[in-house]
Amino acid sequence: MYSWIWRHLPGNGWVRALISLVLIIAVVYILFQYVFPWAEPLLPFNDVTVDNQ
Amino acid sequence: MRSSVKGSGNVAATADDTEDHTDTPASSPPPARRRLGPVAMVVSFFGELLITAGLVLALFVAYSLWWTNVVADRTAAKQADEVRDNWAKGSDGDGPVSFDTKDGIGFLHVPAMSGDEILVEKGTSMKVLNDGVAGYYTDPVKAALPTSGKEGNFSLAAHRDGHGAKFHGIHKIEKGDPIVFETKDKWYVYKTFAILPETSKYNVDVLSKIPKESGRKKAGHYITLTTCTPVYTSTYRYIVWGELVRTEKVDSDRTPPEELR
Repeated sequence: MYSWIWRHLPGNGWVRALISLVLIIAVVYILFQYVFPWAEPLLPFNDVTVDNQ
Repeated sequence: MRSSVKGSGNVAATADDTEDHTDTPASSPPPARRRLGPVAMVVSFFGELLITAGLVLALFVAYSLWWTNVVADRTAAKQADEVRDNWAKGSDGDGPVSFDTKDGIGFLHVPAMSGDEILVEKGTSMKVLNDGVAGYYTDPVKAALPTSGKEGNFSLAAHRDGHGAKFHGIHKIEKGDPIVFETKDKWYVYKTFAILPETSKYNVDVLSKIPKESGRKKAGHYITLTTCTPVYTSTYRYIVWGELVRTEKVDSDRTPPEELR
């Protein structure tokens, strides 16, 4: 999978490394900004109140 | 030296030449990867997926325990500044003195737990608590605000980990420790008198007007702190009860009561 992506990136080694870095940062950003905030309430790690539900 | 090298005239030169010659053919037919069979390709793809999943989970831990704190502390500090600004404006002149409950009603100081002040806002929904503040209960049992002057239970909740982790150090509170609630013009000094280190998350009785599990039988001015326990999980709830000892008027310098000095 990753080698497939690597082979389909344009440019020489340095350009590919740079593009990979940008892609990784983009993925981490999407995770932190959208995916994790969405997933967090669905997981039972951070409920702090007492309630009767 | 390679075993394939076959002896001939000049030994040194031949060795170098032969190495070049044997290396080139081995590396020039491009990727050895193309030779992977379909099974090996599936296995390698699956392996990469597992590694990715592991990295995503590690990132989620970083997000929960670090990033949410960064964001929440920033939001809480901003909201706290707004509240302080409003108070300062209100005390200057004839502006409306009634505070806006949306912006937070005051600050909680628990020196045994942390040196920081904790902004208190209305409600205990995730939306409120995720801003790095403590919330007072409106549901299932409505909290009695100390500002109302009535007897009752001022019940609060905040995160133990992540989102500011304002009640992270709740286990450091011991009996007798002060819990001080600061409003615009009064300090409410409470004293811890009971701790319930573990209770069911369905135990809403801890929020009642007279919390029986704390050992109190009569109505009074109580404060209840609730958060999750053990740390990093939400299996049980940790409860700390305090009782109002006295109130102090806020002076012009906002000199804190002696418990906070």
